[in-house]
Amino acid sequence: MDNDDYRLIRFMRRPWYEWAAWLLWVFLEILFAQAAIASSKEFEPRAATLFWLMFGVLLLGGITSYIIRRDRLL
Amino acid sequence: MVEKGRKLITRREFIRIAGITATSLAANTLPAASPTKNTAPPSQQLLSSTGKAPRPWWVKSVEKPTVEIDWDQLQRFDSRKTMRSSGFAAFIGQDEYDHLLRVAEESEKQRIINHTPGYTLKDQALNAAQGLGARGARSFLGPQNAQTPHERGVAPWSGSPEEASRMLRVAMRHFGAATIGFVELNEQTRKLIYTHDPDGKELVFQDTDQASETATRRIIPNKAKWAIVYTVQMSIETVKRAPTAIAEQTTLLSYSRGRDIQEKTQEFLRGLGYQCLGEATSNALAIAPALGVMAGLGELSRLNRMITPEFGPMVRMFKMITDLPLVPDQPIDAGIFDFCKSCKKCAEACPSSALSLSDEPSWETEGPWSNPGHKAFFENSVNCRTYMTEKAGTNCSICFAVCPFSKKNKVWLHSWIKAGVAKLPFLDGFLRSMDDAFSYGAQKDPEQWWWQNLPEYGIDTEQTLRED
Repeated sequence: MDNDDYRLIRFMRRPWYEWAAWLLWVFLEILFAQAAIASSKEFEPRAATLFWLMFGVLLLGGITSYIIRRDRLL
Repeated sequence: MVEKGRKLITRREFIRIAGITATSLAANTLPAASPTKNTAPPSQQLLSSTGKAPRPWWVKSVEKPTVEIDWDQLQRFDSRKTMRSSGFAAFIGQDEYDHLLRVAEESEKQRIINHTPGYTLKDQALNAAQGLGARGARSFLGPQNAQTPHERGVAPWSGSPEEASRMLRVAMRHFGAATIGFVELNEQTRKLIYTHDPDGKELVFQDTDQASETATRRIIPNKAKWAIVYTVQMSIETVKRAPTAIAEQTTLLSYSRGRDIQEKTQEFLRGLGYQCLGEATSNALAIAPALGVMAGLGELSRLNRMITPEFGPMVRMFKMITDLPLVPDQPIDAGIFDFCKSCKKCAEACPSSALSLSDEPSWETEGPWSNPGHKAFFENSVNCRTYMTEKAGTNCSICFAVCPFSKKNKVWLHSWIKAGVAKLPFLDGFLRSMDDAFSYGAQKDPEQWWWQNLPEYGIDTEQTLRED
């Protein structure tokens, strides 16, 4: 219900394990990004590259998964 | 507001709840109203009254060190048998030793002429400059310049061993020591004191009040019962240029700083009215890794040096003996010695095959340069020293550079991996593989070192202030 005084925020129902998976995904993305940035600061370019690669692959996987599940649920 | 049986939150209510939550959280972090003795932020607080810095949760104190020791078999060792001093020439013969030195000198010259990276003229000049500080004069009895309490007309410092330990730790940290530990010299641990120093003088324990030195002996009073052992950081980024002159000079810098810390500590304790007996020459007085292990600074490793939880093997170790009563420390178990059993990275990378590739440590030594009586991955020190002199032209340090524990601590994952090494040993093989995959042990470009914006001394002096 939207009117001048209120906004409505809706969360799609998901099973608990799906929320847990997304939480894990966010955690890993933060971890890999931090490792990539810190590896650069530690003058470890190969490690930084690998961590950015892992970050990117996981990001693509997460986006793909979100889109597929969203289309299936709609 | 309720809609269709569900309670909806208004914007005003949300902001009110958020404000109350934020205020509660902020109030809990405010310091207490009444002043306390220790008001430093949690990350910088001394954990105990003896001044020990906080350590990661996965480093645990143990009664016995992770390296097995047969104290009945262990005897005091003559430092002249090690490869560091006259021992090398004694083992291979003076003629061969002189030949190797000539080869080394010619190789050094050729590398300069050929502009070999890491061995160029500027690299060698830097190395030589650091060597001046490292090889400078040091003294068993200390400079003996500071005013004693007696000379000031006051009583010597007095306090509990806990107070003494905290005071000494804080002072030595300020002098530049990375970590400091204490070992009480009893019937067993006295065996870690050399019989003779590298210069040939005998180290003798006597029932006397004052330490002294003659032409042939250094007298240690029996009442000087506490060994002080401390580490000085080496620059990880610099050692990763091993085995070049760039890498060697950080070792020499550490020796130079270690000597400086020794002198200042000796004078500090003299100023308090106590004796502090130091290394008369480089690597004298006692077996540094052994004392370090007993003091809980780290664990013994496959490369036969101590590996610390904080800095890996990237430290140099030094020791002194004092009659100031101190609280002795305990050995630790951080899974390091256990990890060495499966890792073997240093042994595989060793160009002279000096390090042991055995799966398990052994009681059998490789030669008389090692002290029997403990179960270790004994090395062939002759191979090591020969390579250093003939091929590397430096102190090599490849084993230090490739060790998986040689890590800085900016990456959160490294801390958690160290915890995993300590608590989940079944992951050791996998973690070693990952270390290879991420190329952490690969040699770095020596010439690039001259372009890097490194901190002073190339080290992070705040590394032990950040808890893992």
